[in-house]
Amino acid sequence: MGITTEELAGGITKVILDGRLDIENSPAVDTRMKAIADGGNSVLVDMQNVSFLGSMGLRALVAPALAIRGRGGKMVLFGPNDLVARVLRVSGIETMIPVHHEMQNALDALQ
Amino acid sequence: MDHAEDRLLLRSQLSDMAQLPCWIGSLASRHGIPKSTEFAINLCLEEAVSNIILHGYGDGVEGSVIVRFTMQQPDLFTFVIEDDARRFDPLDRPLLDSGRTVRVGGQGIHFLREFAEDLKYEVTATGNRLRIVFSAANSAT
Repeated sequence: MGITTEELAGGITKVILDGRLDIENSPAVDTRMKAIADGGNSVLVDMQNVSFLGSMGLRALVAPALAIRGRGGKMVLFGPNDLVARVLRVSGIETMIPVHHEMQNALDALQ
Repeated sequence: MDHAEDRLLLRSQLSDMAQLPCWIGSLASRHGIPKSTEFAINLCLEEAVSNIILHGYGDGVEGSVIVRFTMQQPDLFTFVIEDDARRFDPLDRPLLDSGRTVRVGGQGIHFLREFAEDLKYEVTATGNRLRIVFSAANSAT
């Protein structure tokens, strides 16, 4: 699982995930996301290249989202494919972490 | 080569679960399983097998999990998961409420009910057996 970050205008941290958010990869993502959440108040998680999302992967997204929100910040998810989006929908996670399919909408949500 | 049945034997260690995606991918390739169904299979087997390892066997307990695949009809894919762990019915859990109080724990059972066509649990002489059926027709998003 690849994890890279980019700093965007407006203090937004873009996290780009690439691969499977499964039970094998989730611990590393969890650790990295916690560090990112500690340092940023506006986080956009780019999920365009996430090919799989299981419940362990959900934990790796929810924990940083709650930490950021607890400090008054925001985190959004961008661009999940239809299958990953279905997992987010069925789990109800999208009611906690907004999901956007247009980049501008995702960026606007972090303002 | 005609594979009437395929099986995967795992030890009761989370690290063994790394074998699942490749095995499922191989089945998908050989049997023409659609991508959406392959995704559902990965999702449900990850949930079911991890529950057996973490909760059925528990920390450090040695055991095995056998996953068998059969395809009786062209668009129905059946997986039977057997273990020798303590009795644990994964279906004996409430569905998430419609108000969707989000809990990250417990999602696995919900995924099984949402993404599988049919589920059946049985107690065996030595452990548990969970049968999960996936339908190519109903796995689309």
